[in-house]
Amino acid sequence: MNCEEAKSRMTDYWSRSLAGQDEAAFSAHLASCESCRSEVSRVGALWQSLDLLPLEEPSGKVRDRFYEMLGAYRQGRASVELPAPRRWWTQPVWQMAAAAGLVAVGLGLGYGLRGNNQPPAEVSQLREEVASMRQLVALSLLQQQSASERLKGVSWAYRAEPSDREVLEALVSAVNHDTNVNVRLAAVDALRRFASSPETRRAVVDALPGQTTPLVQVALIDLLVDFKERDATGVLRKLADDGQVNDGVRQQAQWALERLQ
Amino acid sequence: MKKLTLLTLTAALLAPAALPQDPQRATVAFSDPSRPKKLVVDMSFGSVTVRGYSGQEVTVESSNRFGIRAPGRREPEPPPGMHRIGPGNSSGLEITEENNTIRVSSGPSPFAQADVTIQVPTQTSVSVNARLGNSVTIENVNGEIEANNMNGQVTITNVSGSVVAHSMNGKILASLNSVTPDKSMSFSTMNGEIDVTLPASIKANVKLKTDHGDMFTDFDIKTDSTSQPAQVEDNRKSGGRYRMRFDRTTTGTINGGGPEIQFTTFNGNILIHKK
Repeated sequence: MNCEEAKSRMTDYWSRSLAGQDEAAFSAHLASCESCRSEVSRVGALWQSLDLLPLEEPSGKVRDRFYEMLGAYRQGRASVELPAPRRWWTQPVWQMAAAAGLVAVGLGLGYGLRGNNQPPAEVSQLREEVASMRQLVALSLLQQQSASERLKGVSWAYRAEPSDREVLEALVSAVNHDTNVNVRLAAVDALRRFASSPETRRAVVDALPGQTTPLVQVALIDLLVDFKERDATGVLRKLADDGQVNDGVRQQAQWALERLQ
Repeated sequence: MKKLTLLTLTAALLAPAALPQDPQRATVAFSDPSRPKKLVVDMSFGSVTVRGYSGQEVTVESSNRFGIRAPGRREPEPPPGMHRIGPGNSSGLEITEENNTIRVSSGPSPFAQADVTIQVPTQTSVSVNARLGNSVTIENVNGEIEANNMNGQVTITNVSGSVVAHSMNGKILASLNSVTPDKSMSFSTMNGEIDVTLPASIKANVKLKTDHGDMFTDFDIKTDSTSQPAQVEDNRKSGGRYRMRFDRTTTGTINGGGPEIQFTTFNGNILIHKK
């Protein structure tokens, strides 16, 4: 038996459950190994002193008390007593208020202690995670079957970063391909948020000829005017001159041309 | 998938006296009435009416106007000694059920012309797309409602849930008893008026836009003060005109704000009533 095995047997030895061959081997190892012997005697002393503690026997009173308690419980159930008035601090409302208060204090402290330095890495990482979460929500809602859900997706797009290309692409795709007029209208409006990107402007110019719904055409024209997009004059001219196009749309295109020139 | 074809032609040819309003009827059941149900209607011509009722099945009634509005389009007579194989193709309605969605469409022929009246269980989501029809009417249902009409009015009354409605040339008239919280809604028309009645307790962010109309409401709408100033263009020096243009988009909140409701019209007024 080596030291490793001997250590695993020590507990058995102290509790005197070691017998026969195991005991012989264990004793043989102890005889040959100084370190194990000293450990056995050191901890063994503790075990022995534990043995000296008197065993606590439950007194007769424990039994009485138990039945007393059981009786009280039964009585309580039978008489359906009203619950004792709760302390105000145990009420959920107050607990929530306290939690909110602590959060506010924490925020205040954080704000007060914050230096003028750049936000720490964790904060900007958190910000990134929130942004990607918003992106995810917007993108997945825009894929829904229900028009109401897709509209909600468009309103989530307002919370995305103005530099978020995936959300921008999803909005442009909604403007061009969504089957519901109202979703297309909302998506056109949401593109304002992405005005700073030249891609957005390009996409709006490209989207105009493909639209046949007058209301969406008007919304796109308004957007081009707000963008002051001079590259749109060709497309606008075509609309204004096209006899097939709705009169209101043609007037709007004409007006936009005047504005942009 | 169940598939029925409503053949109105035979009846029309055999009984010309009863021709004008000879309604054809079909009944279809949802495969699982306990799950969310949806009705999708796609019609080229004719008016569409969808009405909620206490039953569990969907009944479709079609009054075919074949021979009245389009007398030139009769099914050609078979050549002498020959007979037709299969149904004629000019006036069928197609009804299908798949995955708890019942679709009613004017079938393969773009000239099918029929007014349809459809009864659905009250708890049904309804989506109606009418291209050259007259009016679209949806009443007494509870669910997500989508309506799109090219030419006529869209009337949505006594409903609950959410509404997304568009008409190109017609008016939008909608009245909701209660709204599903957290659903976005939208009402738009190019040339018509938007007249919407909402529950007094509704919480919403509203976005209203009319280019040439006015907006009225009896709700207490808190409008955002960040509206943009008028844009002025002055071309008088170069012989042009002077024009002031206000940004016609108004945003605001009702009862503290909530999901977005959008109202867009180019030429019409917007009226928002409190129920």
